[in-house]
Amino acid sequence: MTGPILSVALATLLVGTVVTFAAGRFARYVAAAVSAAFLAEIAAMFLGFSAPAFGVTTSFVESQTVPWISVSWLHVDYAVGLDGISLVLVLLTGILQAVTVAYSWNETRRPGAWFGLVLLTCLGCFGVFVALDILLFFVFWEVVLVPMFFIIGFWGGPRRRYAALKFFLYTHVASVTMLVALLVTAFYSGATSLNFDSVATAAQGLAVTTQVVLFVALLFGFGVKFPIVPFHTWLPDAHVEAPTGGSVLLAGLLLKLGGYGLIRWGLEILPRGLAVAAPLLYAVAFVSIVWGAVVSLGQRDLKRLVAYSSINHMGIVLLAIALYSSLGLLAAVLLMFAHGIVSALLFMVSGSVHHTYGTRDISSLGGITPRTPVLSTMTMTGSLASLGLPALISFPAEFTALLATWDKIGFWVLIPLGTLVVTAAFYLWMMQRMLFGPAKGGPPEAHDLPVPELVAMGALALLAVVYGILPDLLVHFIQMSPVVGLP
Amino acid sequence: MTALPWSAFTPELLLLGAALLVFLLDSVGLRRLELLGGVAVAGLVLALGSVLADLGFAPLAGLSTAPAASVNVPFGLLGGSLVDLTTFGFVFQAIFLTTGLLVALASTSRPSHERGAGVFFGLLLLATLGMTLAALAADLLFLLLAIEVTGISTYLLVGYTRRDPLGLEAAMKMYLIGALSAALSFFGAGLLYATYGTTSLGVLGAYATYAVRPPLFGTDALALVGYAFLIVGVGFKVTAVPFHAWAVDVYDGAPTDVSAFLSGGSKKVGIFAYFLIFLVPIEFVAHPPTPLCVAPTCWAIDASFRVPLQVAFAVLAVVTMTVGNVLALMQTEMKRLLAYSSISQAGYMLIGLSVATAPAIAGAELQVFAHVFMKTGAFLVVAAVAGLGVGPKVADWKGVGLRFPLLGVAFAAMLLSLAGIPLTVGFVSKFVLFSAAVEARGWFVWLAVAGLLNSALSVFYYARVLKTMYLERPAPVAVAVPAGAVLGGSTPPALPFGGVGIGRSIAIGLSTAAIFAFGVYPQPVLAALQSAATHLLQLL
Repeated sequence: MTGPILSVALATLLVGTVVTFAAGRFARYVAAAVSAAFLAEIAAMFLGFSAPAFGVTTSFVESQTVPWISVSWLHVDYAVGLDGISLVLVLLTGILQAVTVAYSWNETRRPGAWFGLVLLTCLGCFGVFVALDILLFFVFWEVVLVPMFFIIGFWGGPRRRYAALKFFLYTHVASVTMLVALLVTAFYSGATSLNFDSVATAAQGLAVTTQVVLFVALLFGFGVKFPIVPFHTWLPDAHVEAPTGGSVLLAGLLLKLGGYGLIRWGLEILPRGLAVAAPLLYAVAFVSIVWGAVVSLGQRDLKRLVAYSSINHMGIVLLAIALYSSLGLLAAVLLMFAHGIVSALLFMVSGSVHHTYGTRDISSLGGITPRTPVLSTMTMTGSLASLGLPALISFPAEFTALLATWDKIGFWVLIPLGTLVVTAAFYLWMMQRMLFGPAKGGPPEAHDLPVPELVAMGALALLAVVYGILPDLLVHFIQMSPVVGLP
Repeated sequence: MTALPWSAFTPELLLLGAALLVFLLDSVGLRRLELLGGVAVAGLVLALGSVLADLGFAPLAGLSTAPAASVNVPFGLLGGSLVDLTTFGFVFQAIFLTTGLLVALASTSRPSHERGAGVFFGLLLLATLGMTLAALAADLLFLLLAIEVTGISTYLLVGYTRRDPLGLEAAMKMYLIGALSAALSFFGAGLLYATYGTTSLGVLGAYATYAVRPPLFGTDALALVGYAFLIVGVGFKVTAVPFHAWAVDVYDGAPTDVSAFLSGGSKKVGIFAYFLIFLVPIEFVAHPPTPLCVAPTCWAIDASFRVPLQVAFAVLAVVTMTVGNVLALMQTEMKRLLAYSSISQAGYMLIGLSVATAPAIAGAELQVFAHVFMKTGAFLVVAAVAGLGVGPKVADWKGVGLRFPLLGVAFAAMLLSLAGIPLTVGFVSKFVLFSAAVEARGWFVWLAVAGLLNSALSVFYYARVLKTMYLERPAPVAVAVPAGAVLGGSTPPALPFGGVGIGRSIAIGLSTAAIFAFGVYPQPVLAALQSAATHLLQLL
């Protein structure tokens, strides 16, 4: 593959966003075209990646560096590049962008702004996944905040303003901490620029104590996005109050920013900090895993249940990262991809249940299957995927994570394993109450999924199956990254 | 020492000429607001062009008036001259003139039946003149007098409408505080003169830093007291906490366009004065110059004033930004909120003085530069929105972003820039400033941390305003009654551009464009500021 495909893709999204904002009621067509173009560009990235010239490598491909700000003491580049980890997450970005546009096809409240903000969020996420310079990374990181603030605050539920503000403030404080930690890393290590390669090389010379302090600061900075307990309280508010499309992007993409950031800018830059701080990470991960699972059990609101189960799943991602092993890192990336697909599907399900039946309260619903069989099928697919049924996407990811945990810390694996049982329990119980039994709640005759929602959810369900059966479609690419260099 | 040709003072002469022309036209009865405003804008544009040319801005090279040989030559260091032509000074002149220009442009859209246009534009030009003169100063007395020129003009500007009791109260308050500030500053200058027998900034700094001096009239302690008086006296201009209390009432009570000028311009004179007065004693040790061998002895380096001054400014910076932000959190009126935010932004600028390396000075300059567009611009938007019938409270701004989409976008850009969100110039300036503090290492890192915590804190109140503007439903809109109708006069014709007016639209548009343009590509400005800062340090 030749040519600056990443910059072309960024430009596509940028121009697309601007045009969408201006397009008014035609915005959805523009957004669809942009999503299609972006997916095509991602396909081109994959093709370029498989070319034998690259082989199994740990360096970045498609990379491009242009000086941006350069004064005597500060050198900032526009630097982008891909490795296996970012490639998979970019794919997730493209998929979720397309399905979000599809799902909200009939949005009538300020469609220009809605689709424009969706594209802008995806632009920010894409930028985060490909940026290879501290400042550029931070710019994209913050670009995500502003559209999401408006998505939650304008299109959201009854407590949307509170949720939007809380989301914005929590994550902004965290990102500022992250920026300080990264800058201190760069300046104290004597890196010649803020470029990833230069910082990563220079940082190896930092004293272990410094690395630990910086890593813990980064853990906080990225952890709020994860989110880790006790900095998770913005998540249920934001996810529940956000409109369905917003929840999809929040859970599917924004949480992945934390995971990706911790891998790229934490694990890769400060490995010795991670090694020393690992017990702290384990502790935080276990607390998040258990907390997320237990609190999910007690939820009556379907959307809130999915939101809390995200805390559980992202806790496993953190655990897998903390293992600092080849298998663990592979599992972390797989899990993030899987959770992106599955949680998107489940949030769409809860959105559709809400506007078909007028409520998301699990206990006041029942007998959905005979009334809306397709919606029920989607609910089951999503739930079964989320609880880790083999042949669905989460299974290979969770299995790898458990295997890696066993390899590294032995019997502690019982903690995540135990919560898998709890997860299975609350999903099965939810399905039992909501999908089957006598009809309860909502109209006796309900319309099944409208076409846009069917397309979006169908695509996600299909992907969950395809990648569940053939996880190597992802693993093959993820391996072209630092994953191969770890013990 | 070279004698400077008159042409070196082209910008100042242009401003003076424009001011006199405005007063002349006004006194012969030509009082049309558009005419007087046009003269002011023309004078400011020409002066700005001339300064930019002197700064080496290539497209205007033909306009350059400062003899190249005289730029960045330290006339004042030992020679005791009154003025220096330095790129550092030119940068500040450009900043001052931009502020004056934005405000003058916006004010051409004031309702044309309003009285006092001649007074307003004339005083605006004189105040700007004072600031540009201050930017040339090489002598403490010259500096303080130039600041007084600005000060006296702005006292009158605040109360120029003469009708509004709030404006008069603000003017009186500002006058009294200004008098106190001037008295303290001059007393400090007197003490320094008593100690060292000179008011030349360069010589003072050198004396204060070197252990062996020419015959002393006083002691070091006396000089330190003199510097302390200057910190306080100039601190009132900077609105550094605890010398800030007057500013909020004045910004709140003054006509909003004047508030825009005060926060974007006259406060910056204080910052500039701080740099000019204190950089020499702070920085001499960090970059030892070639030994200053003046008969009868070579002076040995003595760091006596460096650390106390650095600590003083560090404390001042942290206290100013923290108090400003915390108090801003509690404000319910838009202008008061902006006033407190302006105080906190001054705190960030002081970081640059405490760290005092070339990057930090460049960062502080950039922060001053950014502040022009974001804060002056924000006050101009407030004035525009008030003209469209929105009340002064933050709560009155419900739904403003949706009712006036363009003004909303502009104001959102300014707030995001003040909060330091990327892709805005406010982010770049904070990024440069804080990373310069980190780069300087030592305890300066904690200044960066304090600044970052503060900028995170400030997001709370900016985000709240955004929330009010975009996410909350507007209260049922009362039919806006134009002020003229209430007074029983004829209803003035609505202004073009949706009631905002051409000049104000241009000024707001320029500010918004600058926020994004310099936020995305700051390299040219940053390089210029960095070279100005480096030159300044080389002069010392």
